[in-house]
Amino acid sequence: MSELKDCPPLKYYDFKPVEHVKVCPRYTAVLGRSEDDGIGIEELDTLQLELETLLSSASRRLRALEEQRQILTDWQDKKGDKRFLKLAKDPDPAATSRHKPKKQKLDVKGGHGPGPGPGRPKSKNLQPKVHEYEFTDDPQDIPRTPKNDAPNRFWASVEPYCADITNEEIRLLEELLKPPEDEAEYFKIPALGKHYSQRWAQEDLLEEQREGARANDKKKNLMGGPLSELDAKDVDSLLKKSESQHESQEDSCPFGPLTQRLLQALVEENIISPMEDSPIPDISGKDSNDAAGTSPRSQGKAFSVPHTRSLEARIKEELVAQGLLDSEERPGPGGDSEDEVLAELQKRQAELKALSGHNRARKQELLRLAKEEMRKQELRQRVRVSDNEVMEAFRRIMAARQKKRTPTKKEKDQAWKALKERESILKLLDG
Amino acid sequence: MSADTKIAELLTELHQLIKQTQEERSRSEHNLLNIQKTHERMQTENKTSPYYRTKLRGLYTTAKADAEAECSILRHALDKIAEIKSLLEERRIAAKMAGVYSDSDPPRKTMRRGVLMTLLQQSAMTLPLWIGKPGESPPPLCGATPASSDYVAKQGDKVAARVKAVDGDEQWILAEVVSYNHSTNKYEVDDIDEEGKERHTLSRRRIIPLPQWKANPETDPEALFSKDQLVLALYPQTTCFYRALIHTPPHRPQDDYSVLFEDTSYADGYSPPLNVAQRYVVACKENKKK
Repeated sequence: MSELKDCPPLKYYDFKPVEHVKVCPRYTAVLGRSEDDGIGIEELDTLQLELETLLSSASRRLRALEEQRQILTDWQDKKGDKRFLKLAKDPDPAATSRHKPKKQKLDVKGGHGPGPGPGRPKSKNLQPKVHEYEFTDDPQDIPRTPKNDAPNRFWASVEPYCADITNEEIRLLEELLKPPEDEAEYFKIPALGKHYSQRWAQEDLLEEQREGARANDKKKNLMGGPLSELDAKDVDSLLKKSESQHESQEDSCPFGPLTQRLLQALVEENIISPMEDSPIPDISGKDSNDAAGTSPRSQGKAFSVPHTRSLEARIKEELVAQGLLDSEERPGPGGDSEDEVLAELQKRQAELKALSGHNRARKQELLRLAKEEMRKQELRQRVRVSDNEVMEAFRRIMAARQKKRTPTKKEKDQAWKALKERESILKLLDG
Repeated sequence: MSADTKIAELLTELHQLIKQTQEERSRSEHNLLNIQKTHERMQTENKTSPYYRTKLRGLYTTAKADAEAECSILRHALDKIAEIKSLLEERRIAAKMAGVYSDSDPPRKTMRRGVLMTLLQQSAMTLPLWIGKPGESPPPLCGATPASSDYVAKQGDKVAARVKAVDGDEQWILAEVVSYNHSTNKYEVDDIDEEGKERHTLSRRRIIPLPQWKANPETDPEALFSKDQLVLALYPQTTCFYRALIHTPPHRPQDDYSVLFEDTSYADGYSPPLNVAQRYVVACKENKKK
């Protein structure tokens, strides 16, 4: 029973002080004397022995007190921690065996009296018991490790990994599982903007316009407002014109990229020979005089060419058939495969998708485990409660037995109920 | 101030210290009783409530402080005794020297053997007990702890001395240091048994200083010789050291060693266990000599 979990491993030492009247007669005698009587030189030896006895007892008490106090302190710091139970020796035998020999010792000393031969009256029959005394009472055995707080620090650092899971933590996990609001943001593919060359051209133009405006401002100071307004209109129209030109240029070539490339290759090849003589096949079916349609700008608005799409497809087919082109080379949708930036973007997005998918799976697993652990924790809590109930019932029955009466029906029933309940919870926990 | 008045003064101080000791002791008695009661209550209830734990801790702390105060005052009193004794010893040596130097004096009466033995036992018994504070380790010459290698025994110190007897045999005898010559590294020692009336001059190798403190088996058992260790021990009722094995170390401060002397007259080569005081047991250096 003394091994109860909630008991610190105290030894309940007998701290009774030495009975000096019995053990130290000379000391007692000296105490009774007045100042004038004093102490004789011949008494010194005996007094020394008696004082040594007192000092030895006091130092031993000091050490034991320190040890017990340390145990209490450690135990309070680390409540219910079994590690410290192990550190200290089994409390029971030490406590009982400690008491008896000490009394024996006192008795022997009492009989000693002052000034007999050294250890002469040491009785042989006492030795075996004294032996046992030495083993239990060896102060060198007392563990002094608790003074070192390294273990405490260590356990404190481990604590977060072993502690119970709280609702707080579950909530945090659930929070983490919600898809972030800005997730879609990362999977958006922005529309293709204007080509940088065009944008730059436009920007340059705007810059110039601004500079022009500044120059105009200076002029305006001299000439007055209306002119500057006119100027601004001028610039606007100029810009519009150039823009329309840009657009027309963009739309000017109705042919697909393959057709253009093929054509370009053929043109480049014959760059030296005069245009007229070049045997350019009239694939497009347009006017052959028109230098293969490479300068649509000159014609202003685009000419309309029919079947460019089917032409492009046909060329592609032919090129693949000739082995000049890999059919897989252009898997992108709508011929976008030429766009390196897009390809990179798509690659990264795929990576992100895989990664976040993996993370989500982990989090879900973690949440599942945590919930399961919570359930177990609850059960363990209940086991603890029912453990206490069982102990309570046991104590009641033991008390009854000590009083030499049979436990009442009610007590028995309670004990059985507590036991069964505990059993069932344990089964739940295992299952 | 003459030695006598000094001693008288010290004795008065000692008396006061002893009275203070008892005051301290009765002051702490109440608390110890309280601890005992609390222990009993805790043990019968078989359960330690936080209330008892806190209470006990407080009681322990107070009792500890009390014990510390008691120890300190007791140490003080013991120091006083040691001081008085050293004064007495000085006086004794001075008297002895005076006796040696005056040849005209009638030869000193030889002490009766029985008286000498009682004296030796008495001095063994009153060898001060070394009681360290917690965490302190025993000093040299406490129990089995040997002296440091450069230790020089003082005048009047008791030693074991290896001397050559008339018949050529070598013996370890109990002797008292007269002087030490630093240039020759030799001791002059007197045989304690004045029947011999001999003064020996011996190299320091032949001298083993005797312990100056008893080791306390209750607090410093490691400072004692352990069972079956080979030692030199003073044979009871003689002034000679002989080789012996420790049979049992002492268990309490006033206990003696129980030793088995090497003795060929017994079948197993050892005498039955005999008691020898801590003061007269020293380490045996030579590993073989027989």
